[in-house]
Amino acid sequence: MNTVIDAHNVSKVYNKETIPVYAVNNVHLHIERGEFTALVGPSGSGKTTLLNLIGGLDKPDNGSVFINELDITKLSTNELIDFRLKNIGFVFQSFNLIPVLTAKENVEFIMLLQHIKKSVRDARVQQLFRQIEMSDKMDARPAQLSGGQQQRVAVARALASRPKFVLADEPTANLDSKSAFNLLDIMAKLNKEEHITFLFSTHDQRVIERARRVITLVDGRIVSDTAAVSTRHEKADV
Amino acid sequence: MIFIMAWRNIWRNKMRSIVIMLSIAIGLFAGVSVLALYEGMMKSRVRNVIDSEVGHLQMHNIKFKEDYDPRYILANGAGVLTTVKGMPEVKLAASRSIAMGMLATPTGSAGVQINGVIPGLEYQVSQLQRKIIQGRPFDPVKKNEIMVGQKLAKKMKLKLRSKLVLTFTDTSGNMVSGAFRVAAIYQSDNAPLDEKNVYVNMEELNPLLGIQNAFHEIVILLKNDAAVEKMQRELQQKFPAYQIESWREISPETDLLVKTVDQYSYIIMFIIMFSLAFGIVNTMLMAILERTREIGMMVALGTNHVRIFLMIFLETIFLTLGGTPVGLFISWLATAYFNKQGLDLSGMGREMMSSFGFGTVIYPEFPADKIAGVLLIVAGTAFVSCLLPAIKALKLLPVEALRR
Repeated sequence: MNTVIDAHNVSKVYNKETIPVYAVNNVHLHIERGEFTALVGPSGSGKTTLLNLIGGLDKPDNGSVFINELDITKLSTNELIDFRLKNIGFVFQSFNLIPVLTAKENVEFIMLLQHIKKSVRDARVQQLFRQIEMSDKMDARPAQLSGGQQQRVAVARALASRPKFVLADEPTANLDSKSAFNLLDIMAKLNKEEHITFLFSTHDQRVIERARRVITLVDGRIVSDTAAVSTRHEKADV
Repeated sequence: MIFIMAWRNIWRNKMRSIVIMLSIAIGLFAGVSVLALYEGMMKSRVRNVIDSEVGHLQMHNIKFKEDYDPRYILANGAGVLTTVKGMPEVKLAASRSIAMGMLATPTGSAGVQINGVIPGLEYQVSQLQRKIIQGRPFDPVKKNEIMVGQKLAKKMKLKLRSKLVLTFTDTSGNMVSGAFRVAAIYQSDNAPLDEKNVYVNMEELNPLLGIQNAFHEIVILLKNDAAVEKMQRELQQKFPAYQIESWREISPETDLLVKTVDQYSYIIMFIIMFSLAFGIVNTMLMAILERTREIGMMVALGTNHVRIFLMIFLETIFLTLGGTPVGLFISWLATAYFNKQGLDLSGMGREMMSSFGFGTVIYPEFPADKIAGVLLIVAGTAFVSCLLPAIKALKLLPVEALRR
């Protein structure tokens, strides 16, 4: 079973009572394990809404979202919280680290919520900080880190409990070019080393260029998906 | 981790947290001081009742207190008194003859309780000598001397050496009178008792009553306050024909006061903490509002509602309990100081205080036995205060919170 995300006919409508606005309109999306996918489109195209629906942060008005063949739209609020904890890693647009915790504690936090043993936690934290090349900043508080460093810690946190996939909403939006490339390199490296599926929304061309698959959303609809193109190219190469 | 986060969270806005902790400390100081003051007042009141009014226990003829008929003496009183004095728990025991009568002066008359006492013993058992504010103790040579309370003296315009006549019935039901001269005016901390009780020498009252060497009352002071109930049971078994009463039964108003004042002080404590709870709720609501996005992010990451509630609860507990040791320490310091120096409440009026049976100088006592109850109220306040902010936080939808 290689399918991680399977969204069927998913729609999300705002202002249903007055003038309905389709943030996501009848979207079908299929993501395989290990993919490194960018969800692109102009502002208001529905990227964040679609990520929220896939991440179980919001419920669709229509359609179903299957994660590893489990329909998460049928889960209760508490079940969704537990599901997110065990299956999904999140990286948000603004540097959403817990300010009162150190970088290490932020990464450890998710594992503590999952009652992972200290020895395992410690080993994983060490490994992740090596991978994000921030072993010397483990004890720094978020306020002592640059924006790029904070996002790298957020990526480490998202990967801490080895989730099924990572959702990143505009992860480079607030970063300078150097930090953005650095972050993308790390995400790509972790995708390759840990075989973790990445799905990230962006309208940053630098990010789009690094993605192996690009899905374009306009007005809540998927208007293009390079997966089909890649498949054609791969077949042609053969 | 939630514990660490909660602790660090309260220090994110140091000034705000310190202000709320200080308000808790001040509130607690006020509450505990009231408890300490009440504790001191009650202990002093009980001490007064025992040491200078009624003693720990009193023994009477079972019928005497029905209408204070002088016929109902304590049968074999002398023998009983000797037995009582020989009991190891007994510190002092003294006999009294009692007559209910009329005190008359050229200007008026008043109903009084005439206590015939053996001066040397009475001075110890009710500290009568210590209460004298004018005059002197009974002269062993002079006859027909009387001690009157200041309030009665004022009312009857009595001065030292004033003459007065006491009229009462003897054991045969005949009206008898005796002329007495004021030897001393006394003042206790209980003005109503001062107005009602006069003291004469038992040797002079008994012949008038016609009871010779008998008496109506034995007042017992024990070595230990806690032994009252035990001794009462023991004496009742030994002398079943006598009425044995403890100070609680003789002075039920004091017992009621002691019992109810605890409740009052807890109510005051509760009111103080209840008003402080609004401050805590406000602080926590502000903290939640400021951290909406952060809490939304935590829920998005998989922090369940129990942990979010726990975090907010712990923060409230830390804020509340942070001020508690300070408040308790200040209260302890203040109480210790005033316990030594005494708190002079004469500004409130000595007469008013003594009309309720209290002295004007109160020695507050740190209510160590009530601290557990106080802490329970504080913890309850913290719990109640965290509910509204916690509900607010739990209602946050991560998708909406993250948009802010």
